[in-house]
Amino acid sequence: MLSVSDVTSGAPVSDQHGISAALAGDQAAWDMLVSRFSGLLWSAVRAYDLSAADAADAVQGTWLRLIESLHTIRDPDRIGTWLFTTAKREASLLSRRNRGERLVADAEHAHPDPALTGHVHPDPAVAVLTADEGRRLWRAVEEMHEPCRSLFRLMAAAPDAGVHQLAGRLGMPSGSYGPTRGRCLNRLRTMLTAQEATQ
Amino acid sequence: MTHPPSIDDESLIAALRLSGGRDPVPAHVAAAAQAVFGLRLPEAVTARSTVTTAPAGIRSSDETRLLRFAAAELTVDLEVTSMDGLVDLAGQVSPPPEAGARVEVRTLHLTEARELSPTGQFAVTGLPPGWFSVVCHRPEHSSVATSWTRIRL
Repeated sequence: MLSVSDVTSGAPVSDQHGISAALAGDQAAWDMLVSRFSGLLWSAVRAYDLSAADAADAVQGTWLRLIESLHTIRDPDRIGTWLFTTAKREASLLSRRNRGERLVADAEHAHPDPALTGHVHPDPAVAVLTADEGRRLWRAVEEMHEPCRSLFRLMAAAPDAGVHQLAGRLGMPSGSYGPTRGRCLNRLRTMLTAQEATQ
Repeated sequence: MTHPPSIDDESLIAALRLSGGRDPVPAHVAAAAQAVFGLRLPEAVTARSTVTTAPAGIRSSDETRLLRFAAAELTVDLEVTSMDGLVDLAGQVSPPPEAGARVEVRTLHLTEARELSPTGQFAVTGLPPGWFSVVCHRPEHSSVATSWTRIRL
């Protein structure tokens, strides 16, 4: 298991080197990218409540997109952000299909991602994925009232539990789990914003 | 470090789970990611997916899907049919490339090669569902590869 800091601490020099080496056909350099970012991508896609098989497919699709785009990378420092954003897009497509939306095929529609080919603003979402931020998130969770505190603890501790099981453990009807989680996430966001305002 | 309200639910969930450390990456997921490196085609031009509208009179049924991939010089149209848990592809490369062009239909685990007909057509049957890409190799020009696409049954 990778530590979170391995996953996202910026190491632009090594990314630059890693991508150059991967472009030159160096499998070991590619494997290094895979081990650095796999944990990040797995967490990114699992957040969409996908089965383990679908999550694996979404991560695989993300690496395939990188292979396709490798030679167009202008900004290796942004590769973590690009991978994260791409993984979310793949997972979101999959989860929409699972909910019965008719999508022709899970292809990326039309636009090459700007993160690798041009200028982008840092994605605020990636900022929460560092070890320090993770600890801060959990400190905030520990201050929350029920059901939010138990819901988040359980959500993190039982990644394979379905909604039905989670709702049962929390003593709520299955139909309440999603909306409750949504409210708890909103509250958590509010707490984090308030913390920042007082720092 | 700021968290604009725009940070989405899924990113927050991912951060909570990642720092919770209770959902390690399955070994097969990392192994599959390493294997992807063997599929790269550094010299190929990528044909990106474009949204197709079925021609008038042809209704894209649940079993048949039409996909179009466009690169600067050529377009690959695919008709995808799912049968008995497997996938059939019928393709058209336009404009038809010069004589001697061939296509490869690549999946993560197997590759099927086909000669192109003079009119630029090809077909492959019995593929497993999942990720695939079609590569058109041309004797006088660079190869064109369709963006990896996931076909589900």
